[in-house]
Amino acid sequence: MADWRGPLIPAICYRDPKAALRFLEAAFGFELFMLIEDAEGNLVHSEMRYGAGAVMIGHEWSDDHKSPASVGGKNTQTVHIGVDADIDGHCERARAAGFEILMEPETQFYGDRTYRCRDPEGHIWTVGQTVREVSREEAEDASGLKITGWV
Amino acid sequence: MTSKVYVALRVKATPERAFAAFTGEIGQWWQASPLFETTPRPGTLSFEPGPEGRLIETRAGGKVFEIGRVRAWEPPDRLVFSWRQANFPPDLHTEVEVRFEAVGEETRVSIEHRGFDQVPADSAARHRFPDAVLLARLAEYWQAQIRSLGGRATR
Repeated sequence: MADWRGPLIPAICYRDPKAALRFLEAAFGFELFMLIEDAEGNLVHSEMRYGAGAVMIGHEWSDDHKSPASVGGKNTQTVHIGVDADIDGHCERARAAGFEILMEPETQFYGDRTYRCRDPEGHIWTVGQTVREVSREEAEDASGLKITGWV
Repeated sequence: MTSKVYVALRVKATPERAFAAFTGEIGQWWQASPLFETTPRPGTLSFEPGPEGRLIETRAGGKVFEIGRVRAWEPPDRLVFSWRQANFPPDLHTEVEVRFEAVGEETRVSIEHRGFDQVPADSAARHRFPDAVLLARLAEYWQAQIRSLGGRATR
């Protein structure tokens, strides 16, 4: 088995998963960890790693597994990436890799600086970096929200 | 076209050290596996180094089995060798490519094993596995080898 595997791993569908392996590496620095191809060169299984996280990149393997590119751009779930440093540089790298920036990096009331982008097949990704420690009280005051579970 | 199994892991060593450990110390880190046995009774693996070299397994009685011949010897970046197990049909040679790529102070070691789906359906080397299962097991086998190499290369 793999050296480690977290209990939650997003498995993301693409029309062209081998192209996705390339553009996700270019944009986000994800590293290809495992790729299995059959004799026709079709992707059977793949996994990328990013720090202590993993994603599986697959094709549209059933009628109910579709890329946003096949369903009018709709997303029914998105993946959030946490980075330790230089989120603005991270955004520029994604832009240079052909990702559409939907929201430029902006510091949020809860202390994270975030941006949002769309990959070439329409998957939306959010990227965040904690840039300031914010207390629950401060976040509640700033947002007018009641917050439960703030550590 | 041919099937491909690709795996990559980082090891805490330079590419030079990782390449040297891979080729020069394979007898110390190689993990024999009952699923992908090169010979019926595991011996000790070693490389005869260089572009004309071989990967051989020397068994307890001194008999030598040739697993493969070196097809590219490009230290510290790249190594390609052919791969056949004793239980393969005589004319079947698969191919293994190993790359060593510096990432900061670590080295990303990747292994691509091509052509393993050509092992015939009735071969003992396949354990009756369908292609997808066989290739997934092969991927895990190589991951374990890189992990073991990583332990050795940090010495």
